[in-house]
Amino acid sequence: MEVTVIIGEDEKKLDVDEGKTVRNLLQMIEIPVETVVVKKNKAIIIEEEPLEDGDIIEVIRVIYGG
Amino acid sequence: MDLCDKCGNPQIIIKKKQSGQMLCQECFIKSTNEKVLKDIRRQKLIEKGDKVLVALSGGKDSVMVLDILNNLRKRRIIDLMAVTIDEGIGGYREDGVRIAALNAERIGVNHKIVSFKEYIGHTLDDIMADSVDRNACTYCGVFRRWILNQVAREEGANKIATGHNLDDETQSILMNYLEGNIQNLTRIGVKSQSNYEGFTVKIKPLREIPEKETALYAIARNLPVHLAGCPYAGDSFRAKIGTFLKQISKDHPTIMYSTLRGFDKIKPVLKEEFSKTVPMEVCQDCGEPSTGKICKACSFRRLWD
Ligand SMILES: [Zn+2]
Ligand SMILES: [Zn+2]
Repeated sequence: MEVTVIIGEDEKKLDVDEGKTVRNLLQMIEIPVETVVVKKNKAIIIEEEPLEDGDIIEVIRVIYGG
Repeated sequence: MDLCDKCGNPQIIIKKKQSGQMLCQECFIKSTNEKVLKDIRRQKLIEKGDKVLVALSGGKDSVMVLDILNNLRKRRIIDLMAVTIDEGIGGYREDGVRIAALNAERIGVNHKIVSFKEYIGHTLDDIMADSVDRNACTYCGVFRRWILNQVAREEGANKIATGHNLDDETQSILMNYLEGNIQNLTRIGVKSQSNYEGFTVKIKPLREIPEKETALYAIARNLPVHLAGCPYAGDSFRAKIGTFLKQISKDHPTIMYSTLRGFDKIKPVLKEEFSKTVPMEVCQDCGEPSTGKICKACSFRRLWD
């Protein structure tokens, strides 16, 4: 399945396996989970949130040097 | 299925590692507000009739302090204003100043913008272009405190509220401990003691809120917030300690709280044993309170004249 990942100005589509969570996605793109707040389809979610095909995931970097 | 501990809403936005508590957006905002206001009462940070000046950078922490203290202003318990210091950091500070102004405007509080350029004659970028030996945070911290204290006096504020969060505070404790800076340790706390009337009391209402939660609060509340990192913060000792604490917190989620609690317990002993009661003087150059004939800010300023 495919999700759209937005980080700042950057937007890309990523292929992820079924059953993956936001935490898995962050690991995939090498962003430490403790430094971000994540929104799925505009709503704030926790890292355990499962991903579904077509989700729009916004990763907001909130902590620098973390 | 994960549900909000307070209201049962299935849309939770936080699962606190330190306590296991799960909260939805609305309950997180409410309980965080209550926690901070309770900390303010318990530690007597604010009294009725205070004029509180928020040091508003536009970052998540100070924006949150302003938002929460506005509750006390609306209830006519305090008078509130915001001050933003433009250090002169090209490509970074402009956005912060703009966002700070939006936050002050949103709630209708008086907002003053002051700059390093007007107060000390140089931007931080100028200072750093000429400096070889010191890191930016040293100058920045000294001048920010110096300017804030002057502005507070000019504005008749009797408290300065800053956005220091749990991560910042445990970093300071660990840094000073590791460096053997026991003198500095005795000055860390939720509320500064002003034993000289020229100093305005500083308070840290977010001292028990983890950094991750201040960020979550600002976003959950939809506050305009400046989320960029300072270009000078990069490789500082503070940054290294911050990284270490965040790493170790993954497996020991209560470590920052226990560091803080332990420190607060030992602090009276440290003070008793190590705090020097230095007679306060008035700086010959600027008239600000100082431990010597010339204050730290003016000793830096003299280097460039
Ligand atoms: Zn709830
Ligand atoms: Zn001076």
